[in-house]
Amino acid sequence: MLPFSIQLRPGKPVFDQLVEAFHRALASGQLRDGDGFPSVRSLSRELKISPTTAHKVVAHLKDRGFLVSQPGVGMLVTAPNLPGKTERLALIKPELNSLIRQARDLSLSAEELKEFLDQLWDGENDKTRKS
Amino acid sequence: MISPIEVSNLTKRFGKTIAVNDLSFSVPQGQVTAFLGSNGAGKTTTIQTLLNLHRPSEGNACLFGVNTRKLGPEQLQKIGYVSENMELPLWMTVKQFMNYSRPFYPSWDDAFAAQLLEEFQLPLDRKLKNLSRGMRMKAALVGGIAYRPGLVILDEPFSGLDPLVRDEFIRGLLRLTGEEGWTVFLSSHDIEEVERLADRVILIDSGKKKLDEPVPELLAKCRIVEVNCSEPPPEIEVPDSWMGYRQVGRAVSFGVSDSDDSLEGAVRAALPQVQKFATREMSLREVFVMMAEKFRLEK
Repeated sequence: MLPFSIQLRPGKPVFDQLVEAFHRALASGQLRDGDGFPSVRSLSRELKISPTTAHKVVAHLKDRGFLVSQPGVGMLVTAPNLPGKTERLALIKPELNSLIRQARDLSLSAEELKEFLDQLWDGENDKTRKS
Repeated sequence: MISPIEVSNLTKRFGKTIAVNDLSFSVPQGQVTAFLGSNGAGKTTTIQTLLNLHRPSEGNACLFGVNTRKLGPEQLQKIGYVSENMELPLWMTVKQFMNYSRPFYPSWDDAFAAQLLEEFQLPLDRKLKNLSRGMRMKAALVGGIAYRPGLVILDEPFSGLDPLVRDEFIRGLLRLTGEEGWTVFLSSHDIEEVERLADRVILIDSGKKKLDEPVPELLAKCRIVEVNCSEPPPEIEVPDSWMGYRQVGRAVSFGVSDSDDSLEGAVRAALPQVQKFATREMSLREVFVMMAEKFRLEK
C-alpha cells in the first residue's frame, strides 16, 4: 500500500493527480515531515503507472524541496509545518469552482449558497462534537 | 540514441488486403507505449512484422537499429515477446518450460525467474495445457522477461485475464521496467489500464496511423463540449474537428481533440443563441470511442 490516499480516475493526467494527492496528504496530516515516501518503483507498481510518470512525480517533488533521498533509508518527506492558508485553499479550489458553476446553473445566488454552506458547516461540527 | 523500435513507411499486404498501410512511428527508450486500434486495425500484423514473423511488403522496421529482416540472436535476446495467441509447448510443465527457455538466452536470470514464478503463484509441476488462460499468460510473461530483455513487446497481454491476475501481471512487468529503464510496447483493448500505464499512445485504423502522442498532452487537448441554446439550433455545417456532433432539442454535444481558448468563440459563432457552454475532460476510453466512430464514418 501507499502511505497516503489516492484513487486515480480517468480523464486527468496521472502526474497531476499524484502531485495533487501528495499536497492533499500533507495538508491533511496524512504525510508529515520525516515520514518515509515510496520509491519510484513502488509507486509505479502500486498504482500500476509507468515508471516514467512515477519518476517525474518524484523528481518534481524533490525539486520543490518536498522530498529528500536519504542514503540507506530511502525517500523522506521534508514538509514545512502545516501549509499556509493559501496553499490549503488552493487544494479545494477546483471543487469550489465546480460548486459555483452548479449553483449558477440552478440559479442560486452567492448569498443563498453561503447561507446553505454555513448551515451544513454547523451541522458537520455538531456531528464531530457528538462522535 | 537509437530508438528501440523505428518503423518507417511500413506496408504489409496479404494478397489484395492491405493490413498495414504506410505506417511510420518510433518508440522512445525507457517508456511505455500503447498501440491501440479497433479489431482488424492492423496491430497484430505490425507487431508480428516487428518480430520478423512477417516480411514487410514495403518499407522497413528496425529494432535497435537492425532491420527486422535481419534480426539475429543478438537482437532477439534483448526482446521479450508475449502474445495472447502465441503457441506454447503445452505438453510441458511450468518447470520444463523454464528449463526449455533458459538455454536460448545467455542473460537468463534464474533468481529473477524464481521470484516471478513465486509472485505469480505458478504451480511448477502443472502442465501448461492444464493451466487457466491467465496462468498461461503469466507463465509466458516469465519466459519472456526472465532474461531481462530491455524491450518488451506485448500483444493483447491482458485479454481474458481477471482483474486480480491482470494486476499481478502488470506489477510483474513493472517490477524491473522502472529500475532498469526497459521499453514497453503493448497493444491492448483494456483502455482503462492503458490510460494509467502508458506514457505515449499510438492509434491506428485500417493500417494507418491516426494519432501518436504523449498521454498527458492528449488528455489535455481532448474535451467533450456541451452546449445549450435558447432555441433549437438550425442545422449547421459541422467543422471536421467537431467529432460525434449530436443535437437533441436545444442541446448540442460533440468532442474535440484540439481544445484551446478559441473553442468557445468558435462555438458561439457557429451556433446562434448559446445559453450555456461547458466542457469536460475525456477519459482515454472516450477519446478512443470518439475517434473510432469518426474513422467508421469516413469509410
